[in-house]
Amino acid sequence: MIKLENVTKHYSRRGETITALRCEQLTILTGEYVAIIGPSGSGKTTLLSLLGGMLSPTTGKVWLGETSVYDLPTSARSEHRSQQLGFVFQTFNLVPYLTALQNVQIPLCLLGQAAADQERRASEMLSRFGLADRLHHRPSEMSVGQQQRVALARTLVNDPKIILADEPTGNLDPESREVVLDAFDAAHQEGRTIIMVTHDPVAANRATRSLTLRAGELTEADTDLQADQSPQRLSA
Amino acid sequence: MTLRSIIWYELRSRPWAVLSNSLAILLGVAALVAIRHITVYSEQEISQQLSHLGANILVLPPEATLQDYYAADKNGGTIPEEHVSEIYLAGLTGVEQVSPRLNVPANLGGLDVTLTGILPQSELEAQTAWQTTTLFTTPKAHEGCTKAKLGTADLESPDSLVTHRAIQNLKANELVLGADIAERSAFSAGDTVELMGQSFTILGVLPTTGTVDDSRAFAHLHTVQDASGSGPVCNAIEVIGCCEDAAGDLVPQLRKLLPNSKVVTISQVVQTQVGVNRLMANTSWFVLVVLVVVGGTSLAGAIAANVRERRREIGTLMALGATPQFVQRLFLGKALILGLSAGTLGCIVGLTTAVLAGPAWAGVTVSALPVTSLLAVVMATSLAILSAWWPARQAAALDPCLCFQEV
Ligand SMILES: Nc1ncnc2c1ncn2[C@@H]1O[C@H](COP(=O)(O)OP(=O)(O)OP(=O)(O)O)[C@@H](O)[C@H]1O
Ligand SMILES: [Mg+2]
Repeated sequence: MIKLENVTKHYSRRGETITALRCEQLTILTGEYVAIIGPSGSGKTTLLSLLGGMLSPTTGKVWLGETSVYDLPTSARSEHRSQQLGFVFQTFNLVPYLTALQNVQIPLCLLGQAAADQERRASEMLSRFGLADRLHHRPSEMSVGQQQRVALARTLVNDPKIILADEPTGNLDPESREVVLDAFDAAHQEGRTIIMVTHDPVAANRATRSLTLRAGELTEADTDLQADQSPQRLSA
Repeated sequence: MTLRSIIWYELRSRPWAVLSNSLAILLGVAALVAIRHITVYSEQEISQQLSHLGANILVLPPEATLQDYYAADKNGGTIPEEHVSEIYLAGLTGVEQVSPRLNVPANLGGLDVTLTGILPQSELEAQTAWQTTTLFTTPKAHEGCTKAKLGTADLESPDSLVTHRAIQNLKANELVLGADIAERSAFSAGDTVELMGQSFTILGVLPTTGTVDDSRAFAHLHTVQDASGSGPVCNAIEVIGCCEDAAGDLVPQLRKLLPNSKVVTISQVVQTQVGVNRLMANTSWFVLVVLVVVGGTSLAGAIAANVRERRREIGTLMALGATPQFVQRLFLGKALILGLSAGTLGCIVGLTTAVLAGPAWAGVTVSALPVTSLLAVVMATSLAILSAWWPARQAAALDPCLCFQEV
């Protein structure tokens, strides 16, 4: 279970303070598949960073189960990400000088696993995404869809309980988008919690719950809104 | 995969950048190592020269400079051999021996050696005897000199070439080997060898002196002149005085006698060498400062640029669970590899330069000084790590949220 309690996040730049996020109470249960929608600049990435233990809130607490995430020291938060979280990025964030196999090995390397175990687990994961013949290719030698599949393999390789995705389908063609959403469905079936920021109505529709962010204010979306997020409806 | 392999893959993906980032350190270490090596061996050479040749005077071709005394001795101009008898016949006070030398490159059983032509004392005496009718031609003893006058018996053994810079008898087909040459070629007294198309019998092997003489072979001056086609000339004439006092007095007299030659005492040569050494030592401090300032800042700048360029990648690694310490070690590790490889390569370049250029630049034979070399590598590595410290800390302090930034 993830819980936000009286969380606010302010950014101050040159004497000006922006409230990027304000949330009195939000609970996401274990195994939920949540879509977060909202216009650009509404605080979606800020929320995801807060949930990922990477951005201290200005006020309030972020709970992961019984632990208050930001009462942990930095290194413990790194460890928590390493063991519990998986991230999916809009632009995949593969390390350019590492091969597909090596990229997928990173989370396992950070967990301190033995090299042989890393390799076995990473190549299993890549095979699951149909990339058994691309193990030793660098990101620049792969198509966009293949790169996102490598990124998905990397996200899932450490068996995360929670998946945090920022616009995971934003850069993909419909076919590749299906691969990602199918992977999320499968992860959901396996009981993982998925929190996905998206502009894509198709993606948002696959989630079991939608939250809307508007100028940093988080509200539970009504069922009509989740598929349609035209500016008029959101600002209405 | 480990931290180390991540560093390695990153460095391997941009070898030219890596090379240019560490070039300043590499060149600095190379210069430092070369200068240190040459200085150390040059200092050794000086003390050996002083102990072996303290009272000696050199007559050199006018174009020879003091700095390249050895070079002039070896490849430089020549002076007529008849200067030898002129000196002898002048009957100057305090002259003990007069020893002309002609150096030519030669090959002994596959070894490159310097063949030095020398004139045995017996012939010198014979040569001067028929040029004069008087009996008063032999050099006069230096008044008040306490040193015992040498007899011909003192010069009988080939070892006297080392002890007294002269030898009594040497036949046209006889050869004396320096200690190094004898060891490297495995020839010994009594062997017959081929040199410059002629056959020689080895008369003896000299004891180790620690000077250039160790890597030379000695034959009769006239044999060397004939074999090299040089004509009746030599590269240098060593005038051995009975003592320092005599040598000092002899210089002006020899200058007057041989106005077309350069006359210097060994101590003058040594003094110049000492000056060169002091300059080299100062230069090496300067190089050290340049190495630290230029090498350090250029590497620090390169690591800082690398951190800036990889901000999103660092954020991503942090999102995947990398601790700030891991990120810091990632960049310190890069610096360590750069410093270590630049230091090692620089050391090799510097050593090679010193070994190849030592004989030409400073007239010394250089071989590796392990402690100096190791120290240079350790210094380059520590310098690299120190320069990367600040950029690496900045990398560790980066915001993991950078992973969400689009490029
Ligand atoms: N590091 C920062 N410093 C100052 N302001 C920031 C910072 N990061 C975000 N903001 C501001 O906080 C607000 C929310 O930003 P956020 O990135 O969360 O929006 P978003 O909903 O993810 O937008 P998009 O859909 O364009 O990615 C924006 O107004 C943004 O300008
Ligand atoms: Mg965003």
